[in-house]
Amino acid sequence: MLKPTKMTRVIIAGTKELIEPTISTFHRLNVLHITDYSEEGRDFKIGKPLKPASKLSEYLLSLRAISNQLGVLGKETSLKQSSKELPSQIDEKITKLQKEVSSHFDELRSIEFKIKEKEDLASAVKPFFGLPLSLEVYAGYETVKAYTGFIDADIEPELSKITSNYELFTGESEKRKIFALFIPVAYEAPVQKLLQDERSYVELKVPALKGNPPVIFDELTKEISVLKEKHASIKSELDIIKKEYSEFITAADEYLSIETQKAEAPLRFATSPNAFIIDGWIPSRKYDEIEKELQESTGGLAYLTKVEEEVEEEEIPIELENPTLAKPFELLINTFATPKYKEIDPSILIFITFPLFYAIMLGDVGYGMLVAALAVVIKNKFKTGGLNALALILFLSAVLSVILGVVYGEFFGFPLFNVEVKGEMEHGLLGIAGPAIAGIHIPVHRFESVQSLLLITLIIGIIHILLGLILGFRNITIEHGLKHAIYEKGSWMMILLGGIAAIARLMPALMSKLPVQSNDPVFTGGIVLAVIGVILLIKGEGFISIMEIPTLLSNILSYARILAIGLSSAGIALAVNTLSMKLFIKPDGVLLGGGIGLALVGVLILFIGHLINLLLGILGPGLHSLRLQYVEFFTKFYEGGGTKYVPFGYNRKYTEE
Amino acid sequence: MVDPSALAADPKGLIAVGAGLAVGLAGIGAGLGEQAIGAAAVGAMAEDEKFFGKGLLMTVIPESIVIFGLVVALILLFVF
Repeated sequence: MLKPTKMTRVIIAGTKELIEPTISTFHRLNVLHITDYSEEGRDFKIGKPLKPASKLSEYLLSLRAISNQLGVLGKETSLKQSSKELPSQIDEKITKLQKEVSSHFDELRSIEFKIKEKEDLASAVKPFFGLPLSLEVYAGYETVKAYTGFIDADIEPELSKITSNYELFTGESEKRKIFALFIPVAYEAPVQKLLQDERSYVELKVPALKGNPPVIFDELTKEISVLKEKHASIKSELDIIKKEYSEFITAADEYLSIETQKAEAPLRFATSPNAFIIDGWIPSRKYDEIEKELQESTGGLAYLTKVEEEVEEEEIPIELENPTLAKPFELLINTFATPKYKEIDPSILIFITFPLFYAIMLGDVGYGMLVAALAVVIKNKFKTGGLNALALILFLSAVLSVILGVVYGEFFGFPLFNVEVKGEMEHGLLGIAGPAIAGIHIPVHRFESVQSLLLITLIIGIIHILLGLILGFRNITIEHGLKHAIYEKGSWMMILLGGIAAIARLMPALMSKLPVQSNDPVFTGGIVLAVIGVILLIKGEGFISIMEIPTLLSNILSYARILAIGLSSAGIALAVNTLSMKLFIKPDGVLLGGGIGLALVGVLILFIGHLINLLLGILGPGLHSLRLQYVEFFTKFYEGGGTKYVPFGYNRKYTEE
Repeated sequence: MVDPSALAADPKGLIAVGAGLAVGLAGIGAGLGEQAIGAAAVGAMAEDEKFFGKGLLMTVIPESIVIFGLVVALILLFVF
């Protein structure tokens, strides 16, 4: 909590014969973050992959190609394959699969090509339906030239000017006029010119086939349907292969990935002709366990030792450590930047403030329950990864929103309790007046108490920013010492607190247009504190830092968005409700007063309006709550820039050892 | 022509118009600022997804301007 897992730097050394058991042990333990060896020295060089590496990656490559072609998707099954039996099957099965799949695919491709060819021919034959000629009569003459094509105009008058020795057939095909013209070769040039000048002329090539066009077309369609049947049967054969082998493929993929990873591990080690050295990091609390495991697997011959040498803070791998409920919030931290080793890990703070801000913004029982339900659905659909974490964050925020919804007395924008608004009594859904808890009368109507809510949000802002500055003070003290911390963060705290004290006295006076009492100790004290802060700031960071002071004010005012987003969400809900209730469902206060049709329109408006507001209600509060963390809070203390802890190993899904 | 005496009698309407202008104009300003930053952030993210956090941060910085407008509007409505 608040600090990343404590890490220890270790060195593992041994003779070359031990390299395989050592790799296996660490891979199984999945704890060692290896620091890649990159400086090629005189004695030590970057290691070479173990012998099976190239063979394994070859298998992996062909397996992935097959799995791509078949479209195998990894599905988690309860049945895990033993990785002891797999190696004996891999060679045989992959070769067989490769042969079968590739021959099937070759056949598929050649059939697809044939189908395309036949289809092209069929569409070329089709226009000739319109002419009463067999296809073979169009070609094969020495002294006669044939022209075929679409044409809109009547060319006969022009043609007879050139020669009377011609034969012209016309017809109609696909609603266009088609013609076939036969002339002696002697007239080729003028006829060609005549046709070219005619704009609507489109030449048609006669396919090199024999017979009556409709007969040929029927034959071609028959051939195509036979080919298509064959295509489908090969596809179903492939589906059978896929069904039969998909479990093997996913398991073998995982097995090969693991083995390749192991075989290529020496690329990250330093090796000499007879020895190897691994440099890396492990969580300190696991040291003893690792030492024991290594002893067992190498017979005590591999050497493991801690290194106490100082290293750059950025090089230490970071594993965040938080209670289960706060764990998903690490996602928000890592999205921004991984913290450095000595920095505060703010996950646990965000675990409190993010849902809180979200809930104050959304604050509606109905929306809260819907968002919670949505989060549960997402969480069940995605068991791991970022979306799962996001769903948990959303769920916590939604539950808190329901609670705040009770405080505000809102259910989809309808009042939950009886409440007096602007002198008029509004009847709530529960039909009772709200209870008073801890002196606060529930419900706190958002539109009625804008001023006090605004004040509350600003106070939240001041506390949040002050917390950020305190964390920053701690971080700087650890890194550069107390003096720097006072200059850099202490000065800001003084300006913040002093400024607030002064403004708290100044504002009421300004508003009531009374002079400020200059002998008020809070006012003068605040001014003095702020001035000391400014002096410290200038001393620490230079004169230019004065430019930064107004950002403090804008940071605090920024928290007014907590109120603003909430008001807009509640406002949209209110507008939708009023529109549908007063105009359609209950005109003039009578249920279904405008008939069933209008009531249905009202229901539609109600549904669409609340759907849009719900989507906005997830997006708006989520983004703005995050923004308050990132921009206002993190900038006070958080630097980031650490390396993420990536242990050498694998999380098995489809196989077991 | 607006009758000056009517204005003097009830300035509430003008205050409401002022409040609306404060939020609306501030919103336009923030939008203008955000469009360029947003486009650049999306460009950076297309190259490297790790920029999401920083991109989001940069994109929403001008949004504070709307909040200032809102605070002015609230003060107009509730204090005067």
